[in-house]
Amino acid sequence: MSTPDRTRFPSTRIPYGTWGSSYFPAWQTSALAEVNIGQFAGESAARILGLRGVPVSELDYLVLGSTIPWHWKFWTAPLVASCMGNRIPGYHVEQACATGLQAVLAATAEVESGANDVVGVLTFDRTSDSPVGVFPERRAHERTQAIADVWDNFGFDPATGNAMITAAGITARKYKTDRAETDDVAYLRYEQYFQAKASGFLDRVLVPLDVLNVAGKPLGRIDDDKGVRQITRAALAAQRELDTCVTSGTQTHASDGMATLLVTTEGRAKELSPRPEIDIRIVGKAEVRTHPSLMPEAPALAVQKLLDRLGMKMDDVAVAKNHNPFAVNDVVFSKIMGYDWRKMNNTGCSLVWGHPQGPTLTRVLIEALEEAVDLGGGYALIFGCAAGDVGIAALFKVS
Amino acid sequence: MVKTIEKQKKAAAAEAKGAVKEIHTLRQPTLETLGLGSVLEIFRRGSLPADPAALVDEVFGPPGERGAMVISGANGIVGAGKTMQFASRLQPYGVPLVALDFPGAPDGIGQQYAGLVSAFGKAGADRIMGSVVRLTYDGKSLPSELKAMRPRFLLEAIPEVLEIKRAHYEIFRAAFPGIEIRSVTSGFPASELGVGVAHPAFPHEINKIWEIVEDEPSAVTKLLWALGLIPLPVGDNWSFILDVLFCGIALAGLRYHDATNMPYWKVDKFVRKLLGPNPFRAHDAIGAKGADFLTWSCLHHLAGTYGELFMPTADLVERKDTGQEWYPPNHFRPLVDWKLSDEEHAAFRTWILGPLFQMTSLMLHEKRAHLAHMNAIGELCAQFRKGILAVMRDMGPEAVVETVEAYHRLHPEAKSKASWFPDAVKDMDSPEWQQLYVNAEHDGTVGVVTLSRESYGWEVDAELNRALDWLRAEGIDRVIVTGDFHISTQMVGADTSDFYAALEDLKAGLAITDGWSRTARRLNDEFRTSVAMIPGKRCLGGMLELMVHCHHVVAVEDARLGWPEVGLPVVPGMEGCHWPLRKAPKDSWPRVLEMLLTGKPVAATDAVGWLVDYAGPLEDALTKAWSLAREADGSARPLVEGPLKGAPKEVAGIPEADSPAAEEARKAIVACVGEACSKSLGDALGVSAKLAAEFLAGPACRGGAVGAEYEKTMKV
Repeated sequence: MSTPDRTRFPSTRIPYGTWGSSYFPAWQTSALAEVNIGQFAGESAARILGLRGVPVSELDYLVLGSTIPWHWKFWTAPLVASCMGNRIPGYHVEQACATGLQAVLAATAEVESGANDVVGVLTFDRTSDSPVGVFPERRAHERTQAIADVWDNFGFDPATGNAMITAAGITARKYKTDRAETDDVAYLRYEQYFQAKASGFLDRVLVPLDVLNVAGKPLGRIDDDKGVRQITRAALAAQRELDTCVTSGTQTHASDGMATLLVTTEGRAKELSPRPEIDIRIVGKAEVRTHPSLMPEAPALAVQKLLDRLGMKMDDVAVAKNHNPFAVNDVVFSKIMGYDWRKMNNTGCSLVWGHPQGPTLTRVLIEALEEAVDLGGGYALIFGCAAGDVGIAALFKVS
Repeated sequence: MVKTIEKQKKAAAAEAKGAVKEIHTLRQPTLETLGLGSVLEIFRRGSLPADPAALVDEVFGPPGERGAMVISGANGIVGAGKTMQFASRLQPYGVPLVALDFPGAPDGIGQQYAGLVSAFGKAGADRIMGSVVRLTYDGKSLPSELKAMRPRFLLEAIPEVLEIKRAHYEIFRAAFPGIEIRSVTSGFPASELGVGVAHPAFPHEINKIWEIVEDEPSAVTKLLWALGLIPLPVGDNWSFILDVLFCGIALAGLRYHDATNMPYWKVDKFVRKLLGPNPFRAHDAIGAKGADFLTWSCLHHLAGTYGELFMPTADLVERKDTGQEWYPPNHFRPLVDWKLSDEEHAAFRTWILGPLFQMTSLMLHEKRAHLAHMNAIGELCAQFRKGILAVMRDMGPEAVVETVEAYHRLHPEAKSKASWFPDAVKDMDSPEWQQLYVNAEHDGTVGVVTLSRESYGWEVDAELNRALDWLRAEGIDRVIVTGDFHISTQMVGADTSDFYAALEDLKAGLAITDGWSRTARRLNDEFRTSVAMIPGKRCLGGMLELMVHCHHVVAVEDARLGWPEVGLPVVPGMEGCHWPLRKAPKDSWPRVLEMLLTGKPVAATDAVGWLVDYAGPLEDALTKAWSLAREADGSARPLVEGPLKGAPKEVAGIPEADSPAAEEARKAIVACVGEACSKSLGDALGVSAKLAAEFLAGPACRGGAVGAEYEKTMKV
């Protein structure tokens, strides 16, 4: 019996095995704290694509995704493309933590519209030493104001006046989540991550990268999600609650990194992939904006909307994987969708390996596609929250 | 002594007039390609085969009617460099040099003044600059002042556009019929240009190499040689040997970049480790705007003749228009390093060596040059640590063919009968292949061994042994060891890149110090008479150690002799720590030790009696060396074969070592002198070889210049 073709993007493919991500070391723990992250991303993309056997000259467009200002960001994709070694045009997208997925969808639009054939998606961020921004505001009593981009924004949503952690607490109270359950979620997520690491699964996704200083000498090797440590259930239980069901162990941490993949046509995907028999389609996407300071429920609502529009159910999904800055997200998702959180995030997630923002959902997507290939195919559901109480979801079909 | 030399000269002249013995050669002497005979004939005649004054008269007219040399495009990189090179050499002969260019051309000549001052002093620089007449023209008609200068020789260095060049020659020929013209083109054949080619190598102020295209060696070419330059005849093909190698290795790097995304700067590092050149840095250093265009132009025309093997990549096509540099700008220094796994490294070798070997097979098939020339051009002009033929010879013909075939699997379009000639690389056992750096000649009585390489290394060592074997097999027991009077203009010592393995492996060091010493001893042990003839301005380090093993040492009077090893620091490993002492009178031992401990060279004339046996003007030195070899009268300074008593341990009054490493080396040298001199000659070799090898593998050497060069080149 053939399954109905639900894809909203019939012409577009992701070539299997042409992707990769850096490890995501926690902020201030690696050489990535010292670099121009745009340059690092461009040079790393060349390295990763080289390892995958894809000459950068195959790309004809580049979609960047990042959220934190970096030196010379004015020049955006063309500059990063030069660092990559192929002077192609492109542009930059930004949607807080949804950036990594939104960039893939933006690239999809490029291919689907026939504007370009092979589009690189390159997402990156450096939370370490996030730059100080100066924002002249003529009506303000302060003509200029300096902010630490990451921390000040995490701590203050100008639309609501609340911190993100507060949004997690508010949502936890709305859904009457249980502290023990969120600790269970977090504990399982760590176990999933370390099992995936031990099995070698992550080696198919993550590429060790050597960073040089200005003198061309080794500055450091980025070969681990530094800052991620084994954790016990008891240790999680012992942690102080910062807001309802939110502890340091049940929330993510800031990190640095990059991730890249290609979006292209069906024909080019077969040419570029080392396993052309694998077909990866982008089926559909959805976004919602929920009530103020209920950000953790927004992804579930986006998934609900996406599946409704596609005429599908969670049972149709082979791989479910999300960006979960709080364990609360997964508990709330289970309550809304009636889906057991134990079936999700089988190879790890951003709750564990951190949150460099721009590339977070790109890495989530790459891991999900690899997992779906291991399963012999099926639908991979990717979702996550973004600043401003937004949720995003997208469905991919691996066959 | 003067009378003796005169007598010997007369005897030589008489011999030259009489029945001249036939000269046998291991392979063709490179001088023959210039129509200048053999090296043995130089000794037999007691003079060089070409006189610069006579050739200046022939090319520019006699004094009083001297015409000018014109360099057009004189403000460009090539033109300005060559203006200085010729002005400094022709000014003593009263030949004016006209530097011709467009009125708005940026001043390239004025920038040369500082370099001239450092080379010739202010007065000399002023004199040279004073001989340069700078004229401008509009590209269509020549300046009226030129007529009064009586131009006799035009060296054209204008842009690489065939039609423009041809029109340029027509203007000159119309105005000055009979003028000699040479183009510096790097790509167009003489048959297309309609003039001869004299293609110089970068850096143009100091590089003496010229690739020459002409039917027969001309007076102009002989004049270049007589002025101390190095003309190398090459075939009349699209692009000459240097550019096939230089552009070819850049193209190989570009293709590897295209296949793997490795950035150019890193490709450069791996190419440098593999072969020596860093082609992308070289383009930037020469000036990317001009160099990118020239490389594209050469490859474009080569591709038109020979096909895909030479086809420029898209990046190069873009950069020939933009002139963009290959290395990232300083504010964007590379951030992500690239390593190669063993498998990736094998692929890298194939991507780089495959096309180079294929291109070389083409040049061999076309018989573009004497093999020693083809090999030397890569070393002297394109930074190859070993010439391309030496690299191929190391691998052997089967491996060369396999490498090219593996390359064709990566780049199938490159496979073409028009550019791949596997048969051309199969004859590696021939003397032409086997003797790229060392040749031998003899007349039945005296043999002459000629060294074409300025530094001593494994290749020279092996070739020298083969040359000595050949002479002995020919029944020759008298030998002169010298330069080749062509490619090699000095003797600078050991090739320190051959020390790299010894920095980490004592056995590798011992192989050098023991093996090379044994080769040097053959000059003492296996010939009735051996004469070292030092013809050039310096003889240093390992080369001097080699030469002092001869029974007699003759040098031109202005030659500088020294052992600079202490500054590297290295302990002289070819018996320099005891052999010269065994040949020197005891009262001169401190002078030998001072040379070893300070690295300061001595003038040959100051070393007569304790390091050399004769120093004089070139012609006298040639005559003396020839007579010593022929007479074999046993007059050599004696060599003490037993232990030396009282070998010096220090030298009073020498300045302190300038670094802790040099101090370490001094101690090691003194220890080596003491140990080796305390042994008999038979045992001393092993002692000195061991101590020198141990120092090579020690921290002082690894922390010094050789170690730094090793780290920079090989630790990629």
